[in-house]
Amino acid sequence: MKKGLVIAAALALAPTFVAAESFQEAFEMNRAMYGNDHVFDWNGGKYHTNHEEELEARVQATKTNAEDLLAKANAKNKEVAELGFEWKLTGGILKDAQAAIDEGDYQKALDLAAQAKYHARIGIDQYHYAQKNWHLSVPQ
Amino acid sequence: MKIIKTFALGLTVAAASQMTFAADSGFDLKTVDPEADRIALQNYFKARFPESEISDYVNGIYAVDAGSREQWEELEEFPPYEFDVEKGEELFNTPFANGKGYADCFENGGIGIRHKFPYWSKEEGTVKTLEQEINECREDNGEKPLKWGKGEIAQVSAYMAWTSRDKVFDVQIPADDKRALAAYLDGKKFFYAKRGQLNLSCANCHVQGTNIRIRADLPSPQLGHVSHFPVFRSKWGALGTLHRRYSGCHKDSRSKPLKPQTETFRNLEYFQTYMSNGLIANGPGARK
Repeated sequence: MKKGLVIAAALALAPTFVAAESFQEAFEMNRAMYGNDHVFDWNGGKYHTNHEEELEARVQATKTNAEDLLAKANAKNKEVAELGFEWKLTGGILKDAQAAIDEGDYQKALDLAAQAKYHARIGIDQYHYAQKNWHLSVPQ
Repeated sequence: MKIIKTFALGLTVAAASQMTFAADSGFDLKTVDPEADRIALQNYFKARFPESEISDYVNGIYAVDAGSREQWEELEEFPPYEFDVEKGEELFNTPFANGKGYADCFENGGIGIRHKFPYWSKEEGTVKTLEQEINECREDNGEKPLKWGKGEIAQVSAYMAWTSRDKVFDVQIPADDKRALAAYLDGKKFFYAKRGQLNLSCANCHVQGTNIRIRADLPSPQLGHVSHFPVFRSKWGALGTLHRRYSGCHKDSRSKPLKPQTETFRNLEYFQTYMSNGLIANGPGARK
């Protein structure tokens, strides 16, 4: 009887333990462990640990490229602000990026714009997560 | 047969072990039940802090942390908000340029009414707060509105709160106007949604995190949060309004804070005050 119960429980619980790791989980684990520019395997493929904004900043440091990325960052931050989930520091980073362009420091401007765009993108993800999960901490 | 029964029983046990409790109501307009929310919150704090009386939650963290309470009781021997209440009374009784005053704008001449705020205005289709109506009173009488967070608005509000001490909050959500329930739900959702770079909800600190240190601070319980506003905060060295505190808290999660008296903050105040129904108004208060 006991043996049967144990076997049945093990069979039923097995999927929990062998559930496939999602790409997001694999990405985040590798990013946390190795930082950017690391290559990891997932589901038979090879992937890198860079955020999309880090790649966007890896262009020639010209005024045009810096202005383009800053425009994208401003647009993304406007989007998150409209959702009510703008982060505190992003506005200042965007101003600093503009100041770097004005000073001719285009690489600095690209890096700051990338950071601001990342903040805004994650804020949007946070908004969507909140819509689905806000109720989880409500006492019942 | 025995094997089949054993297997079936085993599967049931295993399936049950994978189920997690998740409430499925109270999160949309169809199912939200403010009274159930209020009772659930009280029960939550009763279970967390069985030694604390529910009526004492108007004293914030001092209801649940004896060490902090000792310091606060000494502070209350010479309340730091005393001069602000006196100044608020003077401002309240000083006529506007047109000869009218605050007393002309409020029920009962503005005395003993703090506990009736916020309320749902059917005519305007929005939540109205005391500070909002103080400024509306000024504008209706040709005066400039005051800044929302501190200074004179907090002093006038403090005096009005002082005259309302010990009166019981009984915020109503009119059943015949679904917009009121929607405003309550909006406030509830704001309170429980994680936001900002630190990914914190109000509840993370003021429900689950109550009396658990964040560096040197002990977050207060959400129950009774609004009862003692405006408050004299030692950190501010001055009196401030509830919405000033909301902005500060919002900023602490590294969100870009909303402005005081925005609709979202007024809905949050509506939700929070409903949670404190049955507790007394005891503002102004003194806090760290």
